[in-house]
Amino acid sequence: MSHKVGCTHCHLEFNENVMIVDSEHYFCCKGCQGIYHLLKDEGLDSFYNKAGDTKLTPPTQQYEDSSNFNSPAFYDKFVSINNEGFSDVSLIIEGIHCSACVWLNEKALHKMAGVMSVNINYTNNKAKIVWDDSVLKLSSIIDMIRAIGYNAFPYDASLQEVRANKERQDYYLRMAVAIFASMNVMWIAVAQYAGYFTGITQDVKTILNIAEGVLATPVLFYSGWIFYRGAYYGIKTKTVNMDILVATGSTLTYMYSIYITAFERGEAYFDSVTMIITFVLIGKFLEVLSKKSVADTLDIMSNHVPSSIKVVEEGKIIEKNINDVKVLDIIVVCSGERVALDGTVLEGEGNFDESNLTGESEPLYKQIGDKIISGTVSIDAQIKYEATKDFAHSTLSNLVSLLEGAMSNKPRIQMMANKISEYFSAVILGFALITFLVWWFWPHSFERSFMVGISVIIIACPCALALATPVATLVGLGLASRRGILFKQAAQLETMAKATTLVVDKTGTITQGKPRVVQEHIYDGFDRSLLYSLVQNSKHPVAKGVGEFVYQEGINNFELQSVKQIPAQGISAEYMSKMIFGGNAKLMQNQGFNLSNSLDPKGSLRPNGTSHVSENSEFYFAFDGKIVAKYELFDTPKVDAKESIKAIQELGIEVIMLTGDHQKSASKVSEEVGIKIFESELTPEGKSLYIKKLHDAGKVVVMAGDGVNDILALALADIGISMGSGSDIAIDVSDVVLLNDTLTSLSDAFKISKRTYFMIKQNLALSLLYNAITIPLAMAGYIIPLLAAISMSFSSLLVVGNSLRIRAGFKK
Amino acid sequence: MDSWVIAMMLGVSIFLGSIALVAFLWGIKSGQFDDEQKFLNAVKFDTQEDLNDAVDQEKKAKELKKKNYTPE
Repeated sequence: MSHKVGCTHCHLEFNENVMIVDSEHYFCCKGCQGIYHLLKDEGLDSFYNKAGDTKLTPPTQQYEDSSNFNSPAFYDKFVSINNEGFSDVSLIIEGIHCSACVWLNEKALHKMAGVMSVNINYTNNKAKIVWDDSVLKLSSIIDMIRAIGYNAFPYDASLQEVRANKERQDYYLRMAVAIFASMNVMWIAVAQYAGYFTGITQDVKTILNIAEGVLATPVLFYSGWIFYRGAYYGIKTKTVNMDILVATGSTLTYMYSIYITAFERGEAYFDSVTMIITFVLIGKFLEVLSKKSVADTLDIMSNHVPSSIKVVEEGKIIEKNINDVKVLDIIVVCSGERVALDGTVLEGEGNFDESNLTGESEPLYKQIGDKIISGTVSIDAQIKYEATKDFAHSTLSNLVSLLEGAMSNKPRIQMMANKISEYFSAVILGFALITFLVWWFWPHSFERSFMVGISVIIIACPCALALATPVATLVGLGLASRRGILFKQAAQLETMAKATTLVVDKTGTITQGKPRVVQEHIYDGFDRSLLYSLVQNSKHPVAKGVGEFVYQEGINNFELQSVKQIPAQGISAEYMSKMIFGGNAKLMQNQGFNLSNSLDPKGSLRPNGTSHVSENSEFYFAFDGKIVAKYELFDTPKVDAKESIKAIQELGIEVIMLTGDHQKSASKVSEEVGIKIFESELTPEGKSLYIKKLHDAGKVVVMAGDGVNDILALALADIGISMGSGSDIAIDVSDVVLLNDTLTSLSDAFKISKRTYFMIKQNLALSLLYNAITIPLAMAGYIIPLLAAISMSFSSLLVVGNSLRIRAGFKK
Repeated sequence: MDSWVIAMMLGVSIFLGSIALVAFLWGIKSGQFDDEQKFLNAVKFDTQEDLNDAVDQEKKAKELKKKNYTPE
């Protein structure tokens, strides 16, 4: 009898009898025990109160030697010296599960002499550490992090990320000033407007003007700096952009208002200045906020490539850094490990999962002399192979460099609002000038004519225009994210709405990504529990599929003797000294079973062991000298596939399926879900070429996929959509992530983007219509400050309110 | 009512408001709002001991700086 108890450190639960008992505490491993005592000795054991019941990762022991971190080459790459002479490094800390983990890491590092500051970001687990290198070395810092049960690896805080954060912070500061000032200007303006209608003495008016002027100054010159900068670049590239309109309009208005205040006549327009800047700045900020930070290839690589690999040297196995491995080195790969370099098998045999690279759903069997490709995963193989290429030239790194090229070649579809604003700004500036000239020559004072001219710019101020797109997209993005659809960049909503073609990957996108039993044949002498016990011993997807199928409540897991994996065939074992076999037709044949007559009257069996070309994979189960069960497995489409594909086709989008899998299973799947056009047996490059061809035909292409074999296509398509369960690289290069992996959310994504784009168009139309009404009024000289303020706020509210309507029709 | 009263009230209130604004800007600049999760969780780690540790850390950093600045 044993019951489960939790480990005192990591809180994972195991049977009592396997635990290490230490006074009244239980530990699952030496590592956890060590950490517990370390924390206790250091006085950090209040960590356990803070962590509560959070389950932690137990420490693992196979770390590369931390002294590597002290090499000058490493320092060169990752450590920088700040202007006070201290070193600083950015690390990603693994194993952070809760805020207590952040606390513990910061605390433990703070306790070390020489550490200046530690700042760990809870959300992305990235840490910035500043320390005095003359007191301690980086390796001791990393040792400490490992000692308390976490692991850390450095990353190149890419300039891009730093710059994006800086830009965002810059906007925060400018917006804080602008919002503060315009809120204050508004209540002063209320007094002004009240005075305008009920009478106000000139000296009070001047005081209010001065107060407004004081508040408007930082808004114009600090918050509005962005528009001056934009206007400067606009003039340099000889385009009239929105920034020029905003900058000239607000500056002229500001100067005019100073003149009015100084000479005490007419009405000042300081409130308009702050409002224009604030509204347009908010619109710009929303755009910046929803911009995608470009994928950092180094991060992708380090996630996907084993950092150290096992190399045989002089008869011994040593761990080597991946970049130090040369061609002709002999490398050891164990089952479950990822292959880092391309090479040829020297010793051993086994199955490799290449689905990542080729989309082939069946594992491939490799033996001596076969080539293996980097990026594939060994399922059950334990092999030695000779590297034929070094890391920089291996398939995986090649893929990444191809990818970088594809990302920079991505077509950009110009945003509608940008197109409009180009003309808009030029037209408004022209109108203002004409108005001024007409009023001046149609004898009016310079002052009056100037005022009317400016009022055209103020009233036409593109507040609503600037808000039209960002607000609508933000509502669309919010709606999408609540349904598990993450758009990385707002502009993609618009691009997606214009899409004409959807290209989907088969394995893992349309289908479940793993084989499932579609047919079961049971014969005499079948024991469900025995089969279940047998398939538990294999990691092969077919065996897993069978295991899932036969599992039921109360099934027994017998202990089997002499379990043997027979590569590319199946498993054999002994139970109560009777032989059991489970595997494909080839295994059964080799074991002398007769497949053709008694079991399969239809003769659909291919006894020559080529079962992987048939539509279904087969799994036989033999016990005590005869075959007792046969299963047919197939990678079936997701339940919502047919319906969603139909919904997408109804939106007028052409759906095409591309797969690296063989033709038979491709045609079966495409038929089942109702896709008319498909291409099979495509390499990753083949897929991207196909996308290129569609581009050349003038199509706007959305690509949905999930594997490494799709990344080139994903990066090249106008919109790349990846499944949330897909590989990290696929998620990184794609523009949209479907968190719940369903095809329903794919069709939702299309619907939401179409609806959002419709609303953007409507918003733009509304703001242009509003301008069409107010600009003639302004040109006729009927605009007073109050009217300008009201119409500006009203049009902005109209646009915001209209954007909220995107949600209608998506109530669920 | 003399108009200087209005001027004074406006001046004082804008001044007070701008103090709050400056404090907020300082908060953004020093990265206090960068990590919202940590920012919210900070309440949990705000015991006397934690505050003492923070002070100690600041002292340590100051000493290291001093040492670094007087190499001669």
